[in-house]
Amino acid sequence: MKTNSIERKYVVPGDVVIEGDHNPIANVIKEGNKIISTKIGMAEIAYNGVKVIPLNGTYIPRTDDVVIGKVVEMNGFAWEVDINSWFFGILTGSSVFGRGFSSSKDSMQSQFKKGDCLVAKILSFDRTRDPLMSVSGPGLGKIKEGEITYITSSKIPRVIGKKGAMIKLIEEHTNCHMTIGQNGAILLKGTDDGRLKAKSAIELIGNNAHLSDLNDRVISLISK
Amino acid sequence: MPAVKKHRIVDAITLDSIMSKLSDSKRTDDRGLLDYRKIEIETNILKDKTNGSAKVKIGDTEVWAGIKVETANPFPDTPAEGVMTCNAEMLPISSQYVEPGPPDEDTIELSRVSDRGIRESGMIDVSELCIKEGELVYSVYIDVAVINEDGNLFDAVAYAGTTALLQADMSKFTIENDEVKMLEEREKLPIKSLPISTTFAKIGDKIIIDPNADEQEIATARLTLVTDENGKYVSAQKGKPGGFTFEELKEISVISKEKGEEIRKMIKEAVNNGA
Repeated sequence: MKTNSIERKYVVPGDVVIEGDHNPIANVIKEGNKIISTKIGMAEIAYNGVKVIPLNGTYIPRTDDVVIGKVVEMNGFAWEVDINSWFFGILTGSSVFGRGFSSSKDSMQSQFKKGDCLVAKILSFDRTRDPLMSVSGPGLGKIKEGEITYITSSKIPRVIGKKGAMIKLIEEHTNCHMTIGQNGAILLKGTDDGRLKAKSAIELIGNNAHLSDLNDRVISLISK
Repeated sequence: MPAVKKHRIVDAITLDSIMSKLSDSKRTDDRGLLDYRKIEIETNILKDKTNGSAKVKIGDTEVWAGIKVETANPFPDTPAEGVMTCNAEMLPISSQYVEPGPPDEDTIELSRVSDRGIRESGMIDVSELCIKEGELVYSVYIDVAVINEDGNLFDAVAYAGTTALLQADMSKFTIENDEVKMLEEREKLPIKSLPISTTFAKIGDKIIIDPNADEQEIATARLTLVTDENGKYVSAQKGKPGGFTFEELKEISVISKEKGEEIRKMIKEAVNNGA
């Protein structure tokens, strides 16, 4: 298929998504000339390959993802951050204090305490060890105000929309500022009413992520 | 390293928003201090597997209850009384903090408190569960499973257990020539009252009803009161290290009866609609 059209269909694990010479991208395996799904979800067959977007599932970290997490544990050298996954993010003291970090001189408590929320970037991850994170960079660091709401991480692309169209739409109608973590956590900053509206819009996206008229549904919900 | 999340940690910004809302006498989900979340009650959800069943949702908290009525030998010290046990368990799917294996102390407390509410109110007349004194009695098993956890499990488990009991039935029997014969015909269990549990939590100096998971975690004290139809307090359980003043307890005891009456109506309606 050398066109831009995308063919979509629902699959369960074991379903043959398509037969022929296709490139497996994500959540599919290739056996002979069959592409077989490994997840429950929506299969997308495009010219560059076949992938399955799972309906549900836990976040699996990827390098360079921006995530929103919560500090759950700390010791003299690092913070452990719950990033809505089965891995904990590791934020080392030296990545926060710099190269001269010394666990006896620098107070870990002064930067992040248990229960603090933060926006961080995943530096490296290889599925065998917990992901290393960093908070140095624009937009990263401790969260001082706002509200965090959660959605299945595989549906985050629908919250963002084409070139950020959905974010823009929700932000304009609710006067909320949204920070999106690839792990499914979304930080909302704004008035109480705005946040409530944005939350219901995100919930709607979570329940109807597979529909093509999602944009219209969100507009009719938040322009009320 | 396995990612075992031992207990819930309320993050700093949620804590801030709960506290600032509470100082305006509001909750984070826009209800009042003394409002329950939406309660949904459904009966007879496990038709073929149980003698009576119910599903109760309080907000995002969801529990299922099933009743099994079987025959058993009576305990030697109560030869003419039936047996009733109520057991609650947390399924690992209910929350990310629950692991498979033997129940932890919170789950045991949950189980004991729900059992106590039903037992001490005399909801089931155990003397009517006797088939043949000293030899055979009915034993009623109430099993409650927590499907999803978002605080206030004490109330959810109690409502599910009592709703299922109201709807449950057992087979009739006859005794011919000293032989017990079970009949096809079914009859309702001997229900005498309907105890209703209400759970309060204290955050700062505010008393709230029906705490959600985050509120329950940061609360300094928790009190579960069970009242019956006659306005009698049949059981109570206090949790967490903090305390209540005498005035607060007086206030709670009045609210507990009022709320109990509302929820009793709700449960009766659900049972009548379902039957």
